Amino acid sequence: MRLLKKYGALYVMMVPVIAYFLVFAYYPLVKGLQTSLQDYKLMGDRPYVGFANYDAVLHDSLFWEAMVNTLVIGGGILLFSFVAPLVIALSLNEVLRTWFKKMAQMILYVPHLLSWVVVGGIWIFMLSPDSGIVNMILVHVFHRAPINFLADSGYARWIMILLSTWKEMGYTCILFLAGIVSINPSLYEAARMDGATRWQQLTYVTLPQLSNTMKVVFLLNTLGILRIFDQVFILRNPTIASKVDVLMMYTFQKGILEIQLGPAAAASFFVLVLTLALTLVVRRMTRFDEV
Amino acid sequence: MKKVWLTMSTVAVASTMLLSGCGSDSGTNDAANSNAAAGNNANAPANAPADAPANAPAGDMKLRILDANVGGKTPEENAKFEAEIKRLTGIDASIEKPASDYDQKVLTALGSGEKYDLIELSDLGKLATFVDQGVVTDLTDFVTKSTVLSDPSVVPTAEWDQLKDKDGKIVAVFSKFQGGTMPIVRKDWLDKLGLKEPKTLDEYYNVLKAFKEKDPDGNGKNDTYGLCTSDLYDIQGFMSAAGVKAHYVMKDGKRTIPYATEAAVPMYEWFAKLVKEGIMDPNFVTNDTGKMRNLFLSDRVGMVTYWDAWVGMFNNTRKQADPNTTFQAEALEGIPGADGTILMRRGDPDFWIIPANAEHPDAAKKFLEFWHTEPGITLGSLGIENEDFTKEGDAYKLTPTGTEHNMDHGVPFWYNQNVKYPFGKLPGVQEAQDLVTKDATLELSLPGWPDAEKIVKNYALKAMSGQMDASEAVKKMHEELLGKKLIDE
Repeated sequence: MRLLKKYGALYVMMVPVIAYFLVFAYYPLVKGLQTSLQDYKLMGDRPYVGFANYDAVLHDSLFWEAMVNTLVIGGGILLFSFVAPLVIALSLNEVLRTWFKKMAQMILYVPHLLSWVVVGGIWIFMLSPDSGIVNMILVHVFHRAPINFLADSGYARWIMILLSTWKEMGYTCILFLAGIVSINPSLYEAARMDGATRWQQLTYVTLPQLSNTMKVVFLLNTLGILRIFDQVFILRNPTIASKVDVLMMYTFQKGILEIQLGPAAAASFFVLVLTLALTLVVRRMTRFDEV
Repeated sequence: MKKVWLTMSTVAVASTMLLSGCGSDSGTNDAANSNAAAGNNANAPANAPADAPANAPAGDMKLRILDANVGGKTPEENAKFEAEIKRLTGIDASIEKPASDYDQKVLTALGSGEKYDLIELSDLGKLATFVDQGVVTDLTDFVTKSTVLSDPSVVPTAEWDQLKDKDGKIVAVFSKFQGGTMPIVRKDWLDKLGLKEPKTLDEYYNVLKAFKEKDPDGNGKNDTYGLCTSDLYDIQGFMSAAGVKAHYVMKDGKRTIPYATEAAVPMYEWFAKLVKEGIMDPNFVTNDTGKMRNLFLSDRVGMVTYWDAWVGMFNNTRKQADPNTTFQAEALEGIPGADGTILMRRGDPDFWIIPANAEHPDAAKKFLEFWHTEPGITLGSLGIENEDFTKEGDAYKLTPTGTEHNMDHGVPFWYNQNVKYPFGKLPGVQEAQDLVTKDATLELSLPGWPDAEKIVKNYALKAMSGQMDASEAVKKMHEELLGKKLIDE
């Protein structure tokens, strides 16, 4: 009671936040769970059907196709979006000229500010088989036939992975750079006094000291891999759909386009459970609790 | 353990966005209850005038409308549009016209139990789903007893078949006349190159090749394409040569998709040849219709496949930009098949439904009748009197605002033969609509079409772009459709 009196004002201040999450997060979550257990119609009776929607989703080959696509594309994004910014952050850390470092950071960061609609438009144009710069280089510099990248299922997943990496690289890079900057300089000084080379300073000082940042970045990226949607929605076309349609696209198609809200909600819950499982696995593997 | 719970909570919140779109409902029986109270459908109590024509006085009738096309072009004009409805009908109407994502807005509104009296739709597949989902009101008695709507000169009787459910009940009312799609050619380029309108596949090939190679825009550069489409939207006019119709076709009670049959192979090969020879825009797989239109308007391509109404819009757009332009778009008829039949595509109609939970169904019915009379058609086309047009006696005059709005406030074309077009139609439109009337039929979208469409488009576009041999593509397409039980043979 004494504590309540002492911190009462703080608890009151928490009320709007808690109310926000209850109304806009947990309530829809519970309703979503309810929908997944119903033969959900837009109007009229909505009888409960047990796990029939889950069963329907699990027996839908398109769901498994989407699952494979999600794991491949999401896994690729997870890997590349982690390694590429790390390499760039470590490289930029070696650059002495501040103006160059700042300029590089700014250029890398800009794509993060753009929506997928803009990024998609830019790359659809750049990868165009007749007027895109990538094909112009292929044709005029390498004397190769133009490639219709966005209509070739062989390139589709790679394009999704690389574009996502390109777009988000700057943001993650800044997180890594912030981590590097906060490393105690005396550790480098001690290493140098012990005769450590640049490579040894990197492997024995920088990377171990950056491990906590890396764990956070990896965990955050893991949380997002099953929720890829925007880029696929913008960049997909019928010829590559079977290679890039991910779980959220499946949910969108079932729920919004086909108005099968029960199966769509069930698929969403699969994504939720999988994300939860993945997160727990990553936490355990990275010993996140030791951060 | 605490941390596990913390993680679970975090993940749950982060994932909420996935579910929020699917996560709300209005309770199981609200719709049915409110509908019964409003006396709105065939199952309503006997004292509810569900089957009566809308001849009740407007009084203080209110009407809430959700639509994609009907209304003002701006929020300000929309308010004036509502006031004009009030002036003309006495109905206190409120129009909600989302700027984007209309289908999602409709779905969200219905799912969350919002109550609209009229909702505009344009997809017959979706209408069938809404019927199954208990969303729509049976309007059979209303339409058949309405002196306005049952008049064949207002809406041709056969047209109502489009808006019937599987039990033969009329469940919607047209909002405008919907045309069809067809090849649209640069007539001025044909004339310049001394070519005639093509009628056979070979003639089409020769025309398209000439557009590619003979510098029809006269800029001295090899920068034009013969043909541009936007994925399979819409190649029906060409596929007609092989006698295959898009979407489903019922054959002896069995579901077939002609685009997935051997008959379609020569056509896919024909397109692949166009792509290989650089005659067809290679971006057709990724093009949206906007890009296709822009290429046509900017002299980059000589033929596109698009809507009848756009023949006039193309001509008008270029004429407004340059009154001396030689640009002339013209609709072409599809290619006859071996038996001489021409298969063209009629678009799904735009139509109104009265949702089962509508609070003011009588006002909705009164509005639907008004919408098909001369004042309603004038409002839907020319717009608001003294805002979009003025009238002196029987003569109409467009204001600058009206000119800008292109005589389209949701009804560019209509069924009612008693109402004349005060300014005629834009150049080329009537000829295009005549082709639709003559050759076009609706496409059949049965349940499962969204899944089937993905398979059809995947292989058809691969065959057309030359990524896959046409025979192999059709074979795989057919096998996959059969394997997933999306066709019966």
